[in-house]
Amino acid sequence: MSKKPAPQPALHKVIMVGSGGVGKSALTLQFMYDEFVEDYEPTKADSYRKKVVLDGEEVQIDILDTAGQEDYAAIRDNYFRSGEGFLCVFSITEEESFQATQDFREQILRVKNDENIPFLLVGNKGDLDEKRKVTLAEAQGRAQDWGVPYVETSAKTRENVDKVFFDLMREIRSRKMEDNKMSNGRGKDRCKRKKLKCTIL
Amino acid sequence: MPPPVVTGISPKEGPPGTRVTIRGEFLGNKQSDIIGVSICGCDCLLSAEWKSPNKIIARSGPGKGRGDIIITTLTGGTGTSTVQFRGYHEAVGPLKESAVWVEEVQSIGWGSTKSIQLDDPLGLSLEANENKFPEDDLQEMFPGCNGDLSSENFSPCWFLLQNHSNSSFDDLRAGLAFLRRKVDSHQEGQLSFLKGNVSAVMEQLEVLEALQVAFQKDVESFGLDRTEKIVEAIKECRNEGKMLFDGVLKGREKADRTRNALGVLHRFKFLFTLPTAIQRKSDYDAIISDYSRAQNLFGKTEVKLFKDVLTEVRLKVAEIKEELKKKLHTMPSSLDNQKKIIRNLVQLEYEGDPGWEGITVRMNFIMEQLNACHSFYSEQIASVKPKSGKRDKNSQDKQAAINCRVECIEDLCDIISILIPDLWSLGQSYFSGELSTKFDQNKLDEFKAGVENCLKEMCRLVREVAGKGLTGSWPNCLQVVRAVLVALKHIPHDTILALVQFFRIECVKNILLTTAEQTKRLVDKEDWVLIHDSTHGTITHLPSLFEKLFNDSLSILKESALKLGPKEAELFSNPAMKSEVNEHAHAIFNNYIQCLDTLSDINDDEQSMSVSQLAFPTFRTSLSHTLNWEDRVLACISNCRYSCEVTVPRMEKTWNEAELPSLDLSKPTSDLRSLKSRLTACYIENRTDPLVGTVEPSMYIGQFEWEADFTPVGVRPYANEIIANVLVVHAQVERRCGWLKEEVLTEVVETVAEELSRLMLCVSHMSRAGAIQATLDITAVEHALAKYTTTQARNFFSEALDAIPALDEESKKTVDKLLAEYKKKMYMQLLPFEAKSNS
Repeated sequence: MSKKPAPQPALHKVIMVGSGGVGKSALTLQFMYDEFVEDYEPTKADSYRKKVVLDGEEVQIDILDTAGQEDYAAIRDNYFRSGEGFLCVFSITEEESFQATQDFREQILRVKNDENIPFLLVGNKGDLDEKRKVTLAEAQGRAQDWGVPYVETSAKTRENVDKVFFDLMREIRSRKMEDNKMSNGRGKDRCKRKKLKCTIL
Repeated sequence: MPPPVVTGISPKEGPPGTRVTIRGEFLGNKQSDIIGVSICGCDCLLSAEWKSPNKIIARSGPGKGRGDIIITTLTGGTGTSTVQFRGYHEAVGPLKESAVWVEEVQSIGWGSTKSIQLDDPLGLSLEANENKFPEDDLQEMFPGCNGDLSSENFSPCWFLLQNHSNSSFDDLRAGLAFLRRKVDSHQEGQLSFLKGNVSAVMEQLEVLEALQVAFQKDVESFGLDRTEKIVEAIKECRNEGKMLFDGVLKGREKADRTRNALGVLHRFKFLFTLPTAIQRKSDYDAIISDYSRAQNLFGKTEVKLFKDVLTEVRLKVAEIKEELKKKLHTMPSSLDNQKKIIRNLVQLEYEGDPGWEGITVRMNFIMEQLNACHSFYSEQIASVKPKSGKRDKNSQDKQAAINCRVECIEDLCDIISILIPDLWSLGQSYFSGELSTKFDQNKLDEFKAGVENCLKEMCRLVREVAGKGLTGSWPNCLQVVRAVLVALKHIPHDTILALVQFFRIECVKNILLTTAEQTKRLVDKEDWVLIHDSTHGTITHLPSLFEKLFNDSLSILKESALKLGPKEAELFSNPAMKSEVNEHAHAIFNNYIQCLDTLSDINDDEQSMSVSQLAFPTFRTSLSHTLNWEDRVLACISNCRYSCEVTVPRMEKTWNEAELPSLDLSKPTSDLRSLKSRLTACYIENRTDPLVGTVEPSMYIGQFEWEADFTPVGVRPYANEIIANVLVVHAQVERRCGWLKEEVLTEVVETVAEELSRLMLCVSHMSRAGAIQATLDITAVEHALAKYTTTQARNFFSEALDAIPALDEESKKTVDKLLAEYKKKMYMQLLPFEAKSNS
């Protein structure tokens, strides 16, 4: 798959992670097609890609919507490898989904082997505030621990939906630019990172 | 519309048949817009389900690997895809759940399945499949390479990533050492190989030596060629084995044969049970089918057993044939039954033509039935007749005979309408080949003639019976015959049609005749109850009775004979028939007129007249009638007029409405008129004669003489009597039939005047007083009867007055005086005459 037509806009690969039923697909579909899907149908692995304008520049976003269910935990590694940025979603109405974010974070770090991978902690179902189980402070505390932003969204009302995707893309973009600089300027840093990987293993 | 763009796929990979939700833009506006759906190069249009312009659901095809999702719409053309679907084929192993059935044989052969790979060249254990590095990533990293050890494009990195991405560095190092050792061992020479395996080589040498020793020992004891012995032993073994197995095989063969034989016997069991089944005669159809089966199977058999049984069966079948034939010839039997028998006979290869036989039997049966029925009823009628010894019983017997005849006709019709359709349908079955017989086309005419004969015979018998008279039962019988017509709707029935026509004609004639008869008998029905009619005077019930009788008859006619059934011809197309009907109608009217005539009694003896002579109207005769003669005559006259003016025209209308040939009733009307005038004349005569007869005696009563000299003091009694008598007649006529008054009274007055003039002319001498008296009397009478005095009467009166000697002035005065007195005195008596002008 190495066809490379010259003027291809930059491609940012985003991966949706999180427990089953927290609204990963809902967020994705809301972002992609402005529609809110009410009926729940567990996802296996869905792929979406479209052109968006990010800060005046046309880019392509590729969203991999993964399965939240534990049944698919084994194949996640493979998916995570290809991701450039992660939206780690939980439902503010479900405590367990919030706890599970910890595991997802760890798995991503293990696979990507990069502490600074673009990552957003997303508390979905913001419209169901009356059923809230995870306090804002709790979530923000965890995000702070990890050094990532925390955003509360609602796939139903589309609140902050565009924001999370665009924020993540910006991070990915700046990350890529940084990488380019490094590889162009000092190839050593790159090697250093690889060495680092070896020591962890 | 722009070309469709697929931007989303859910899920993005799966085995063939995965339900895939395709999302994007411009995916068509309705199901029929989509004209192409291709996933990984596989056409999936058939399974595509359009949901919205952004969403289509389809099932993936058997494509393998990554591929675009291309949607083609009617308006947008072929589209593009930003996402890709990966199809893969799941290898079904023995421990994997599968939706399809996996042949076990395959999975048992562990070694042959591809899933088990060769030993790892690094000597390391294989990683679990789940942690495999994604193939497409590898392809991206190492284009044009693969991880197959035997491939030219083998890439060690690929191989390591694919198989050992999770192995630790130490393991890999150990693996490298292992590989190196293996390679080194290949490179060292044969010597080193021997060195490495000294002990094994030595062991082999020792074994070889031991073998040689043993072999030489054998040569010593058994000779050089040991194969001979072995061959012999083998031969022996073979013979032994053969012997052993021969017994077994033979036994088996025998058992097989027996089983075969049993099977055959079982299969043909029915043949052996056939004779008993035939004996029981339960179900012919079953027997016949078994028989034909047996014929087919064993007809040419050489097996004695079968032959014997078959002959027995044939004998029995012959019996059955006989029996069936007998049954066929037995009537009555239902149509279905007969058809079945015929079919059975045909199946049994009956010699002859059972179908035709059945038809003949049926035809004969019908004939027999008809004749039997006829003779039965003939006897009945005959047995009724001899009893009629006495006169009064005669009519009863007659009625009984008629009833018998009607029943006979009904039965004959029943026979035809029940049996002929059966016969016809049997014939149709026969000639259409439905009875599976070969039929003779020539017999078709014969059959038709036969049916026709049956019908003709029936008609003949019916006509014969009916010819003896049915009187009032004609309409009934007509109905019955018509029912036959309906029953034979599908069968040529001209004969019956003719019969119906005959019946209709007879019916018309008969009813008219009967009506005439009944009209005659109306005489007895007259009850002389008087009904006052303002225009026609007092009438009786007779006219209305007659009208009712007539109308009843007509309505019966309308319902029976005149109603046109299907295919029935117009009745009165024949002019002879028309005139006959007219004659009958006239007969009815003549009878009526005669009836009226008889009732009026005018031709009767004079007894009644003498009784009512000058009697008061209240006088009652001792005759059977409650009315006296005059009243009856007057009633008859009224009846005549009423009939003439009201009833007859009404009846004429009814008649013509009944679609009978138009009737000219002028003759009956004129007859009625003449009867009326005859009766009137008679009445007048009878009333006038006594009246006039009394004038002369009364005039000369008490030796009265015109010559005598006396003083006239008033009108003499005889004149008063004349007036009184005329008044009586007037009263009677006025009461009974006012319209006749004028005619009767003028006649009476004329006669009276004539009589008076005759009497006056007879007087030879008349004194002065006599003259005064006579003038007074006559003038008084003339005055009193002035209203009804015709010119002729007036002439008579003046003749009478002329006969009286002329009066002097004084006498005239006397007369005028007395007349004035008289007028005053008689005012009340004369009022009725005055009343005429008022009425």
